[in-house]
Amino acid sequence: MNKSIILIAILFITNACIAQDFSTNISTAKSSYKAGDLENAHFALQKAMQELDMIIGREVLKLLPAKMDSLTANTGNDNVSSNVGFVGATVNRSYGKFDKKAELSIISNSPMVAMLNSLFNSPLLAGMNNDPNTKTIKVQGYKARLERKNSNVDGKFNYEVQVPLGSALITFSLDETNDTEITTMMNTIPLSQIAKLIQ
Amino acid sequence: MKHLLLLGCLIAGLLIPGSVSAQKFLKKLKEKVENKVEQAVEKKTGTASENTSGVNNTSNTNSTTGTSGKPSNKAGGGLTNTEPPDVNIQITEAETAHNAKNYSDARFSLQQALMGIEIQLGRQILKSLPAEVAQVPVDTTQDKVMSTQWGWNNLSIQRVYRKDDKQLTITIGNNAAYAGVVNMYYANAGMIEASNDKQNFKQVRVKGNKAIIQYDDNKGYTLMVQLGQTSLIVWEGINFSTEQEMMSAANSFDVDGIKKLLGEQ
Repeated sequence: MNKSIILIAILFITNACIAQDFSTNISTAKSSYKAGDLENAHFALQKAMQELDMIIGREVLKLLPAKMDSLTANTGNDNVSSNVGFVGATVNRSYGKFDKKAELSIISNSPMVAMLNSLFNSPLLAGMNNDPNTKTIKVQGYKARLERKNSNVDGKFNYEVQVPLGSALITFSLDETNDTEITTMMNTIPLSQIAKLIQ
Repeated sequence: MKHLLLLGCLIAGLLIPGSVSAQKFLKKLKEKVENKVEQAVEKKTGTASENTSGVNNTSNTNSTTGTSGKPSNKAGGGLTNTEPPDVNIQITEAETAHNAKNYSDARFSLQQALMGIEIQLGRQILKSLPAEVAQVPVDTTQDKVMSTQWGWNNLSIQRVYRKDDKQLTITIGNNAAYAGVVNMYYANAGMIEASNDKQNFKQVRVKGNKAIIQYDDNKGYTLMVQLGQTSLIVWEGINFSTEQEMMSAANSFDVDGIKKLLGEQ
């Protein structure tokens, strides 16, 4: 109970600091632009954008379920990183411990992902990709790619689902599972709400 | 005797052209008769002659449609030039959206503001470039400032100087990825300074900045200078007679001024 209160307090303080930084950077950008210092204005706006990406990442984390089936979220390992550039901002959360784990990764505003997505969605590539371990599925109305991977444990497989959303990519992987279980778990992630935030 | 010879030549001169013109007359007469016969046949059968109709059809096709049957575009004035985004308005909109917790819109407005600044900065840099280099004047119609929505990383500024077959293109870019490629060359100095009979690639300095110059028979001279951490200037000279001429053209640019405007150290 105490730990939860401390965690909430830390999140609240971090968010408050980020919001303050956003306003400070916006003020710097405004004053630099007024003074004709374009380079400084640009730098301040970029920093504001990075902070915004961090805020968006934290908002996405709030939308994610605290538990997926029997797997509990490892909120202590939550990670949000911002990178104004080619890679984009990323959000990571993991579920479960030891033998069965799930990983959720969201990359947003990434030109690299935008290029990859255009390739994934091309019918030519889809036709060429006749891999028996890969299939196209729909999750909450969104087209997704389901991939089966070999597990360390004999006869069991790890699965991964990728949902491309413009310049964003949501990847969910689950150990030792089957396509039904991973699809059921994937359905507990509010994709449309996340899409609204990151697109 | 002489008189007789002259008379003979005169008669021959009169007769030869006469026979040629008679042949021409007969040929024309023959063609006219053939045409009349063809026209008479066409009137009776109601079909047009192949030659005339073929020519007419071709000219009609060319004027309205392309080879694939699609109409060719002859109207339309292109797109109108729009002003870059207003930075102040975009920043205010970003603040409003942020306060309303509408983060996606806030991000979009910030991107627009960044783009607005980049385009202004690009135009400032273009203004700072000389109007003439190595007696080659600027072709302002080819001035370009390109900014993508991905922040600083893809600002490109281009200017072309051109006179007859001589051309100098300067491209100023801000992209960590390709600026890094130049660094890679510096790191492999031993490799690129290989002693060939004809050296087409070497390291030089432009106003104290490390640079690489390259020569290719088809492309001419290419000179690259890395500015600070992420910026790069590339000069491409076509039909520059010597390396010295290319170097003095590059040295006539205010490299430090460009560096300062881009915020590079």
